[in-house]
Amino acid sequence: MGIVPKETIEVTAQSIGITNLSPEAALMLAPDVEYRVREIMQEAIKCMRHSKRTTLTASDVDGALNLRSLEPSYGFASGGPFRFRKAIGHQDLFYTDDREVDFKDVIESPLPKAPLDAGVVCHWLAIEGVQPAIPENATLEVIRAPADNKIYEHKDGPLIDVRLPVKHVLSRELQLYFQKIAELTVSKSSPALFKKALVSLASDSGLHPLVPYFTNFIADEVSRGLNDFLLLFNLMHVVRSLLQNPHIHIEPYLHQLMPSIVTCLVSRKLGNRFADNHWELRDFTANLVSLICKRFGNTYITLQSRLTKTLVNAFLDPKKALTQHYGAIQGLSALGHTVVRLLILSNLEPYLSLLEPELDAEKQKNQMKSYEAWRVYGALLRAAGLCIHDRLKVFPNLPSPSPSFLHKGKGKIINAEPRKRKLSADSSENQPPHKRLITTDGPDVLRPHDHTGPAPMHVDKPIGNYNLPQNSAQPSSSEQASDGESRNGKEKERGKSRAITMKAILGQIWKDDLDSGRLLVKLQQLYGDRILPFIPSTEMSVFL
Amino acid sequence: MDPEQVDEFVMGYLKKKGFNSAAKHLQESLHNNNGSTFSSIDYHNDPELNKLIRSFSQSENDPSRYREGYSKLRSWGYNSLDLYKHELVRVMYPVFIHCYMDLVGKGHTQEARSFFNSFRKDHEMVHLRDLQKLGGVLAPSHLQEMEFARSLRQSKINIKICQYSYDLLLQYLHRTESTLMLGIINEHINFQVYSGQPNSASDDIEAVTIVGSFHETADHVNQKEIHWGLLEDSLEDRLEKTGGLLSDSEKGQGESKAGDMDDSKKRSAEIGKQGSSIKKLKKDKAGTATTKVARQETSTVLSSMPRVKPELAMPVMSTDVEESILEDLRNRVQLSSVAMPSVSFYTFVNTHNGLNSSSISHDGSLVAGGFSDSSIKVWDMAKIGQAGSCGLQDENNQTVGLNGRRNYTLLVGHSGPVYSATFSPPGDYVLSSSADTTIRLWSTKLNANLVCYKGHNHTVWDAQFSPFGHYFASCSHDRTARIWSMDRMQPLRMMAGHLSDVDCVQWHPNCNYIATGSSDKTVRLWDVQTGECVRIFIGHRSMVLSLAMSPDGRYMASGDEDGTIMMWDLSTARCITPLMGHNSCVWTLSYSGEGSLLASGSADCTVKLWDVSSSTKLTKAEEKNGNSNRLRSLRTFPTKSTPVHALRFSRRNLLFAAGAISKPSS
Repeated sequence: MGIVPKETIEVTAQSIGITNLSPEAALMLAPDVEYRVREIMQEAIKCMRHSKRTTLTASDVDGALNLRSLEPSYGFASGGPFRFRKAIGHQDLFYTDDREVDFKDVIESPLPKAPLDAGVVCHWLAIEGVQPAIPENATLEVIRAPADNKIYEHKDGPLIDVRLPVKHVLSRELQLYFQKIAELTVSKSSPALFKKALVSLASDSGLHPLVPYFTNFIADEVSRGLNDFLLLFNLMHVVRSLLQNPHIHIEPYLHQLMPSIVTCLVSRKLGNRFADNHWELRDFTANLVSLICKRFGNTYITLQSRLTKTLVNAFLDPKKALTQHYGAIQGLSALGHTVVRLLILSNLEPYLSLLEPELDAEKQKNQMKSYEAWRVYGALLRAAGLCIHDRLKVFPNLPSPSPSFLHKGKGKIINAEPRKRKLSADSSENQPPHKRLITTDGPDVLRPHDHTGPAPMHVDKPIGNYNLPQNSAQPSSSEQASDGESRNGKEKERGKSRAITMKAILGQIWKDDLDSGRLLVKLQQLYGDRILPFIPSTEMSVFL
Repeated sequence: MDPEQVDEFVMGYLKKKGFNSAAKHLQESLHNNNGSTFSSIDYHNDPELNKLIRSFSQSENDPSRYREGYSKLRSWGYNSLDLYKHELVRVMYPVFIHCYMDLVGKGHTQEARSFFNSFRKDHEMVHLRDLQKLGGVLAPSHLQEMEFARSLRQSKINIKICQYSYDLLLQYLHRTESTLMLGIINEHINFQVYSGQPNSASDDIEAVTIVGSFHETADHVNQKEIHWGLLEDSLEDRLEKTGGLLSDSEKGQGESKAGDMDDSKKRSAEIGKQGSSIKKLKKDKAGTATTKVARQETSTVLSSMPRVKPELAMPVMSTDVEESILEDLRNRVQLSSVAMPSVSFYTFVNTHNGLNSSSISHDGSLVAGGFSDSSIKVWDMAKIGQAGSCGLQDENNQTVGLNGRRNYTLLVGHSGPVYSATFSPPGDYVLSSSADTTIRLWSTKLNANLVCYKGHNHTVWDAQFSPFGHYFASCSHDRTARIWSMDRMQPLRMMAGHLSDVDCVQWHPNCNYIATGSSDKTVRLWDVQTGECVRIFIGHRSMVLSLAMSPDGRYMASGDEDGTIMMWDLSTARCITPLMGHNSCVWTLSYSGEGSLLASGSADCTVKLWDVSSSTKLTKAEEKNGNSNRLRSLRTFPTKSTPVHALRFSRRNLLFAAGAISKPSS
């Protein structure tokens, strides 16, 4: 039936005192009521349209009743949507939430504020077809960095012209805004307020005139406050917000900002060496650097190369402090896997040999130094691991290996828990890898195990090529996997052409496999088991 | 079948249908002749006829037959050949709604409802709004009461269909003996069969709009002759006259050129007057600057337009006003797809959802708002501007306002929501219309109400001054539009013909016509002198909300509730192209001074600029080729959550926009 069931009619009849309404009458009335309601709503929508609105209000319904020369429904036109409540115990009975108000309360309560009077505000929506970047205007699409937009911008011209006058005559509001933000950044007293300020910085349009002031401010404060950890952190947050703001065209100021940012990444001393968690700041800044490179790398071709040069210099200079090395490694690893592979991995061996004495608790008596060394070691491990992970992920999706393969792969993952610097220095990191594979008992005690017990797994392991020494196992196992794949492929689709493309792909994989296989082996030699968590399970099953 | 049985069937049928005398005669003749010789058609032995008779005698009222018949037809239609499918599917919609209305008409409310709900999905794409209306029809009385349903019942729908599709359909209907469907199709559809290949699915919108008996009348009405030329001796003319002096030889050349143009124009025969009144082409030797050259081009375009005489007595304009207008026209910025206008936006703040309408005077100095609390407020932006230049200073003004001094003029007098408030061309009067059925005239100099015009029977939705002032047109919920002059209490003309509310009205630039947009989804053009409808524009799929006339008087734009804008050629009543882009109500439209750009403002909080200059230069041949993609959206200016209520190009081609900021609902 329609939207008005006959029960509604019956209830309505009861409510106005008709108790003996026959069901037939209700049944007859229901469709008519629905028709009338629709009719009123149709008129109400007309009223709404003529009031230039897109949401229906009670006054529109009143207007519609008026059009039909009917009594309007009084008492609803107070504005605001109605709240309907479900009657408890009934599934589909609703009533308007209309609470009783004590007359005394109404009289005694102070007069509410008078609503503001209507007014008209004027602004330029567009000047010769270009929307100026003023707070009154909505988000602009014009102010964006991408290269293809550039010509378009130039053609429309006056973007710069619009900005110049504003830059020199900074309005009072903007001055106040700048002062307030600067104050908040320096004072560090109210983190909550600062957070709000950051949100505002990241989203408000019309802040563009302030950008040069902010860049100056950041540069000044960073050079002045290298010992003030919190200040530095706040400043980096400000930089991040400025970068996030879609209305700000930060590119021209990047060259002023970069030195400050790099400082926060690779400076020898950021805040107190012991008390402050300057590692976190370095991590944060590294992310910032990668963000910048991602966004402006296309337009500023020299940006990344200059940055990497700075970082690599810091990384490879043995005289620099370990903290600086850490920052450089984090920065480099944030720049992407190619950078890591070319610059870090190629220097990994000599660097690790330098680092080793520092790691050794017996040789390095200074607790702090040792801690820092472990930090650096962790960063290196992470960089290398992420790189190899990515490398392996690049391959086209391998057909999923057979269940037994998968099972073993999983088993391995569980076994290989990250143990970074928790391990004592004498832990067997230089142990030959193949041995480690077989004798997993040693460190097992430390690891959580969700398998029922290690025993069945040990039984499983010798099946297949698993017990071969790692170096020789690598190519052969991947070959075997490839064979399996091609067999699988052929089974799946017997089409000849498919098989050919499959072969081509496999050839490529094969080549890449060798490449990254070698890399993996090298890493395995250097890091031992610690690299394993970074290797996806399917790939692991192929390589190990 | 047994002959007697057949006779019985026939008897039963006749009786049921109430053909009593026929039944009696049949009975008599049966008795006399023993049932075998009286008929020239031997219906007893014709199996086809037998079946037919049987099907008639079957339970006539069985509602399930509709569902059965329709769903069979539907599945057949949707499974037909792709090439013909869209034509056959087009037949479904009228069959569907008439099945539904038949069911309702026979009182099978339940079945009608379930029938409607099970098949409405098919047609929702195109006919959503019609279906929403029809969905409410639940009783036979509603069919009578509802205009839309009645017009559907009374009229036939024209469907263009190619020969093969038509044959397919007929074959199907005969083969399956679905007499019910055949009946509906015969009764309500008028096939226009054409030979050759079926049209592509998308090319005709008209084929799917159902507007009752409109099409025939529309075709008829649209034959009438209209003179869309500009007024002779208009200000544009005078501008040209004052613009440059012509030497005799150039004059002659100009005339011969104008003559050539006449010949090339197909319509020259229709418009008898223009030959003599064509203004000379202007040659300004000094015009070397590019802008001037551009202006010359457009003014030649304008001057090549035919001229017509005003049918109304035109008000005399004071020389001061005339001078200032001429000055403005001389200083007009030339706009085109590469030279965009500047847009100044007036944002209404703190309106508390009460702003129903707003408008801007021709020079942009005055802004009026009509409010739902029956008041009209007029802001003098020039004064506000003096207090401090645009921009941030405005906030200071607001604080002044808060301190007790209002910065607007409050006009109180209406007793219902004010649905329109517009300025006279010189800006000295405001005309407002309201739900209290009256139109009021206010003076902005005296800040007082001058006249209250009573005449409409219902809410007056819109009122607009003619381009030269003095006369104004209004339109109302009572389905009429009326023409008034400022000095008379009674309307001069009344235009009746729309099937639903008349929602907006607009004058033609030559003052001889008005256009009205209505909730019946049509736009009509009326002759002011005779009060006749001279054009019907069919094509919108929802209520028409805004209208604008191009300055050369040849084209019209109309915007609807769904966000579609249509460009119409007035002489042919054809839609040149729909402009798609807005996704909510188009509240307002405005042409730039020389007609090259169209600005549209919408509830989706954007102002869009459309390039329409190319279309005005369309030649006939190009029109035939259907180069409809020439109109394009040039620019979109989003506002900060402010729906755009009003737009106005000033005489110097600065675009003013107005709207009330709406808080995003949270």
